[in-house]
Amino acid sequence: MKILVVDDFSTMRRIVKNLLRELDFTNLDEADDGQTAWPKLKAGGYDFLVTDWNMPGMTGIELLKTVRANPETANMPVLMVTAEQKREQIIEAAQAGVNGYIIKPFTAATLKEKIDKIFARSAG
Amino acid sequence: MQDECDRLELLAKAKQLVESIERKDDASTGELLGTMSIDRERSLFKEVGHLTRQLHDNLSSFALDEQLVGLTGKDIPDAKERLNYVIEMTDDAAHKTLNAIDEILPVTIDMQKKSEELSVNWKRFLSRDLSLEEFKVMSGEISQFLESSCVNTKIVNEKTNEIVLAQGYQDLTGQIIKKVITLVQNVEDSLVDLIRIAGSEDDAAGEQKEEEKGVLEGPVVPGVVVEGAVNSQDEVDDLLSSLGF
Repeated sequence: MKILVVDDFSTMRRIVKNLLRELDFTNLDEADDGQTAWPKLKAGGYDFLVTDWNMPGMTGIELLKTVRANPETANMPVLMVTAEQKREQIIEAAQAGVNGYIIKPFTAATLKEKIDKIFARSAG
Repeated sequence: MQDECDRLELLAKAKQLVESIERKDDASTGELLGTMSIDRERSLFKEVGHLTRQLHDNLSSFALDEQLVGLTGKDIPDAKERLNYVIEMTDDAAHKTLNAIDEILPVTIDMQKKSEELSVNWKRFLSRDLSLEEFKVMSGEISQFLESSCVNTKIVNEKTNEIVLAQGYQDLTGQIIKKVITLVQNVEDSLVDLIRIAGSEDDAAGEQKEEEKGVLEGPVVPGVVVEGAVNSQDEVDDLLSSLGF
């Protein structure tokens, strides 16, 4: 399973990657915003996207909408990990087709729970 | 008066130009055209210069409030620097911590693995299940383990201290941010004064509301009320499940 972690803060990318490694996900790649993430996703080979919302260039919500609009990536599970916690934004992400939504700061347990839920659903 | 002079001068030159064209004197025609276009440019520059001076005077009188001049000229650029430094320091501290952990984890995982292996054999020894040969191997392993433990615990201690030291950023960034908070307060006070002087408090409030739409709020900060924000992951989960998630 190859995972792309997208966040403009390198420390947060590192933290998410460390936590994913703890959960035995070892095939990890990263990008610092939607603009650098999208060419990677379009090129293929990724199974799961973890993205922040507020990033320069292309935001996470724009990236999510782009992923859903493209037939090759439309079914990819997307987990949003963000400091944005307004109701209208959570609803917007849900309407755009997000599979999970975690607010920062978060715990390793929350990340595990949401990932388990996403894959239990996509397997079932 | 000046305009009239300019016009007469231009007319004289125009007559000279017509004459030189009729004479088919190309050299003189070219020269006259050249001087006329230079005159034209000169008057344009004069006009631009005049407008620039006017703009400068207006701006200077606009910024007469000395406090605002100080705030916008020096303090706000300073604050940007400070905040960039905060990002730099927190980035540095987080990486230092993660680097130290990257070095600690393999050591502790290795120690755990070895002690588990030894403990199995030790239990067998206590229940007299170990042959003499196996006991000899085990004592060698125990000696090795004790030696490597000395080295490994030293590494763990050093790296743990590095992690502790890296947390010093909290104190430093806290002080910087406090200064920026004071600055923001000063800017707010000055702007409120300015709005009061301009007597357009209502308009300004309306414009602010418009601008706030669509702005990402970022992390919820204690003491700052954000309308429509959830307070915990549980609330996010409840909201999503109400949407059929």
